Amino acid sequence: MNTTVEVLGFASELSWQLWAVQYFFLIGISTAAFFLSLPGMVWRLPQWRGVSRRALLVALVCGLTAPVALLADLHQPGRFLNFYLHSNFGSWMAWGAYFIPLYLLGLLLYAWLSLRPLMAALAERGERPAAFYRTLAYGGHDNIGAIRAAAIVAALGAVLVLLYTGMETMVVRARPLWHTPLLPVLLAVTAFAGGLGMTGLFEALAGKTRSAPLLNRWQELSQWASLATLSAWTVLVLTGSSAAANETLGAMRGSSGWLLTIAALFATTVLALWLSRTRRDALIAPALLALLGAWLVRWVIFLGGQSIPKLGATSHAYFLSLTADNLLSIMGTAGLCLALYIALTSLVPWDDPAEARGDQS
Amino acid sequence: MSAHPDLSRRAFFMTLPAVTAGLAVPAMAAEPAGPHWAMLVDTRRCIACQACTIGCAMENASPEGRFRTVVATYAVTTETGQAGLAVVPRLCNHCEQPPCIPVCPVGATFKRKDGIVVVDGERCVGCAYCVQACPYDARFINHRTGKADKCTFCSHRVEAGLLPACVETCVGGARIFGDINNPDSEISRQLKAAEGKTRVLKPEAGTKPRVYYIGLEEQLSGRVDGASAANMMWQPGHQGA
Repeated sequence: MNTTVEVLGFASELSWQLWAVQYFFLIGISTAAFFLSLPGMVWRLPQWRGVSRRALLVALVCGLTAPVALLADLHQPGRFLNFYLHSNFGSWMAWGAYFIPLYLLGLLLYAWLSLRPLMAALAERGERPAAFYRTLAYGGHDNIGAIRAAAIVAALGAVLVLLYTGMETMVVRARPLWHTPLLPVLLAVTAFAGGLGMTGLFEALAGKTRSAPLLNRWQELSQWASLATLSAWTVLVLTGSSAAANETLGAMRGSSGWLLTIAALFATTVLALWLSRTRRDALIAPALLALLGAWLVRWVIFLGGQSIPKLGATSHAYFLSLTADNLLSIMGTAGLCLALYIALTSLVPWDDPAEARGDQS
Repeated sequence: MSAHPDLSRRAFFMTLPAVTAGLAVPAMAAEPAGPHWAMLVDTRRCIACQACTIGCAMENASPEGRFRTVVATYAVTTETGQAGLAVVPRLCNHCEQPPCIPVCPVGATFKRKDGIVVVDGERCVGCAYCVQACPYDARFINHRTGKADKCTFCSHRVEAGLLPACVETCVGGARIFGDINNPDSEISRQLKAAEGKTRVLKPEAGTKPRVYYIGLEEQLSGRVDGASAANMMWQPGHQGA
């Protein structure tokens, strides 16, 4: 056979769309931000105290929004009960139903234990609503042992969440772009870049620019790691000797769309690296670029991965159209993040009391 | 009356379970294995009329734009310049090692004793993980139900002694459906006659499909390197209107 034209092909609709991208983006950022909260909240490193508290806010905002995106993708949220009633433990996704609550409960407990002394101090100073702060502080004891224990639970949950999100996509042999051992690493590394970016963005929103050099130092390291993993992943996917690699290469060969996408992915990473390295005091630009990079990786992996045909020649192109479902996934998750941000920043103190007093005076 | 009338009776009752079990075991072993349904597609007899596609859609009330079976059609040109038509009727392969089953987080998809892979609609959560895992693009999310949908070999018809709708409607008799456990069935005889000449889709996936093909070109048994007319055409929803 010399040439072939598929005159009648049947392209399937992409079954994991924006909701999935949003979920993987937000849960990755949340877990990364949780780890960024440890140096200041658990190890009490002075230079990390402000950044770590802001990272905890990021972990809460993104961590509480992410499962909503996941539930929305089930078409009927009540169906999540079946994950517990009929768990198939041979499936990574089934484990996710246990790892997400473990992480979130650990995170909430850790956040509450860490913020209790601050809330007690606010109640003592008579900040309104003092009664609310007094109740929530529950004595306000700064129990480092309990904080460490909660942090261990949350850290275990975070590691398991990162593991399952990577593994559930990696095990899908039918998707050559996913079926590579580097995928879980790539998702985890870019999640850290995104977590640092979101923490930087929250710091900028709060007007705390002093943390920029510290965040940019870590952002640089994270972007180097992203670049290295991204390069290795691309090389493995495109030049590996496996049948999956050959298939991917065949599908992407000569596609200007794919070339542009991969170029955009690398350009974003390199630009974020350059900015965080050369503009140590800049907060917003490196943060936004890091977030864009983390989001693009998920977009390319999930939507691009599904666009490669499993059979036949018809590619399953995805175009971001402003349908009700797409709008809901973008506006819904962004709106929920914003609502949580407003609620948490209105009710809970996120700045160091000494720093806050300094700001007031 | 004997002084020990119960001894023999007790002995009889004591040996009764062993005797019953002994009788039952060979009876169970002798039980026939039951049917194992499969399909053989003779592509040489397929004229790409899509009667099977429509017949299936009517029988199973498939949602608009989604199909449980289709006939992918190719215009091929040989190295000597000869042009021709090639077809690949596609459906769920009811694999012996179905990758869609282990990934299902709630165990909603399973393989029946008769070899048919089905989805328990009550349990399915519509996560589409099975859709991702299927190497044959044979599954989709039904927008009416929000759950996974796929070919069931028309199990409701088979249980009533009928043939699947696609087999019934095939004008060229290209689809042969039957029990591969029965050596006298049409499919077993045809498979035996075509031994060494049959193919399955994507054999490298290791799924052991139970849909076999006669006359299928190797180049068309997986992802096809070639142009797609669909990629060049206007598609509803993608470019407005």
